[in-house]
Amino acid sequence: MMKYLKLHTIFIKQDLKKLMEYKVDFLLGAVGFVLTQAVQILCLGIIFAAIPALCYTENGVVVDSWTFHEVLFIYGFSLIPKGIDHLLFDNLWGLGYWIVDKGDFDKYLTRPVNSWFYVLCEKFCVDAFGDLIVGIALIIYSLCAMPSDIAGAINWLRVIPVLVVMPFAIMIFTSIKTATAAISFWTKRSGHITHMCYMTNEFAKYPTKIYNTVVKTLITYILPFALTAYYPAIYILRGESFWSLPVTIFVSLTLFGISQLIWHRGISAYESAGS
Amino acid sequence: MDSNNIMIQVKDLRKEFKKAVKEPGLKGSFKALFSPKYEVVKAVDGISFDVHRGEIIGFIGPNGAGKSTVIKMLTGILTPTSGECRIDGRIPTKNRKEYVKEIGVVFGQRTQLWWDLALRETYMVLKEIYEIPDDKYQARMTFLNEVLELDGFITSPVRTLSLGQRMRADIAAALLHDPKVLFLDEPTIGLDVVVKDSIRKAIQKISAESGTTVILTTHDLEDIELLCERIVMVDKGKKVFDGDLSELKRRFGQMRELNFELKNIDDSEKLCYKDDFNFSDDDLTLDIKGTSVNVRFNSDTVSVEDMLSYTLKRVHVKDINVKDADIEEIIRRLYLGGGMLSD
Repeated sequence: MMKYLKLHTIFIKQDLKKLMEYKVDFLLGAVGFVLTQAVQILCLGIIFAAIPALCYTENGVVVDSWTFHEVLFIYGFSLIPKGIDHLLFDNLWGLGYWIVDKGDFDKYLTRPVNSWFYVLCEKFCVDAFGDLIVGIALIIYSLCAMPSDIAGAINWLRVIPVLVVMPFAIMIFTSIKTATAAISFWTKRSGHITHMCYMTNEFAKYPTKIYNTVVKTLITYILPFALTAYYPAIYILRGESFWSLPVTIFVSLTLFGISQLIWHRGISAYESAGS
Repeated sequence: MDSNNIMIQVKDLRKEFKKAVKEPGLKGSFKALFSPKYEVVKAVDGISFDVHRGEIIGFIGPNGAGKSTVIKMLTGILTPTSGECRIDGRIPTKNRKEYVKEIGVVFGQRTQLWWDLALRETYMVLKEIYEIPDDKYQARMTFLNEVLELDGFITSPVRTLSLGQRMRADIAAALLHDPKVLFLDEPTIGLDVVVKDSIRKAIQKISAESGTTVILTTHDLEDIELLCERIVMVDKGKKVFDGDLSELKRRFGQMRELNFELKNIDDSEKLCYKDDFNFSDDDLTLDIKGTSVNVRFNSDTVSVEDMLSYTLKRVHVKDINVKDADIEEIIRRLYLGGGMLSD
């Protein structure tokens, strides 16, 4: 394990150095990301300017509702596990898009390290600072701007179990990326499958209850991004859905197991490329 | 044969690839989407051979013969469909992490170095990966530096290296952990004569000093002539020759070359080797450019003496010489001849 940490540190240093070299590239990427987020948040702002709160109704009766600031908090929170996964484990995207297709996966198999770890630790994606900065800013802003009766009701001790579960939430992203990227061992390219699955995390930025059963089931159990965003966020805000925390650990470990199985099967099926 | 002395053992190794068969055009693509048809391509079709400790063997064959597929199975990249290969008693795909510590791999077409790292840092990363102790690392670096002359560019990022520098850097990277076996897949491809020469010398020196077993694939016949003690030739996934260079020449080297200048340019019509001696197409090539004539022929079919006297009787020549078969000619004939030469 120490070996992998050391390796990862070397590559992190390297990518930070690269960041200094390609400043413009980084800045453009960061500006692009901030703009995308800004537009989404602006849309939220516009919607909430017209309505007092986001409500979920059953038979015309309001069952649950969220204020603008609560939605903003959930949105901001969702960017944290996503951002950390993006920061540390971004290289999996390359696997599905070109590494396997071009036969470049060869080099990961000729070194005495776990091929999956090796792929993961080879890249440190500084672009992810965009997600993290926007996420943290939104969390801080939403908490400060919240009406004092809501903010005052938050029990800050709830942050502790959420922090404990955080690594498992991050692993949900990593495992889904791993499993879908490993499909490329059979199909040569699977980047678009990864992209499709990954994009469902967009649903998880908003209260899960507002969706119909299909979407709700999808993002809670199948591609369980809701466990990385809405559930822990609403637990911090209101103390609701504590059940989701142990479920996150269980689901995350299961997904991890499945993704490793697909990965190892995939390696035996890997066909390299002609040279 | 002393079994302790065998480094690599390959037994009836096979690798099949499933290839999707598609009819041409958009319609074909749709058909393939809904009812895909596959055909099985036998890339490696039952190859067996042994390699001794410390041997340098040349693994040759035309493009698409299955050379790289064999190398990739030996290095643990591909899983064989059937058959077995053992390197120093180990099976590459079983316990891969332990196995690859014993081998070094260089793919000439594709670098294994990190594009943006300075070369020195690349070696630091490899030191971590292979868990090489400091003193051993220092000694090894000094040795590789001396053999491959890395000093001039060791602080440059890999992306700025020339092809020759990069290849030397790649070879050093594959040897840092002092592997028992070194796999070189086309290590001299695209290099100039001087660099080729220095790389060949380095390979010889490394093999001699560290006792490394070397398996080399190449299309460069000089590589074979200068480096390889033994040659294994494959074609269409099968082994067609296994032996040393002199045996190759003895078995397939019946080709001789006759070169001369005609005194009279019109004389060329008088030379009808093919009809007069009943040569087959494979056994004779006649090349006449102005007054200079080049004849390659199989000396098993017609002796050199007969050819000479036939030529001298019919035409006046200025200058004549007979050349022994060179390896290039032999390889060309073997490649064209294909599977029928299997032993």
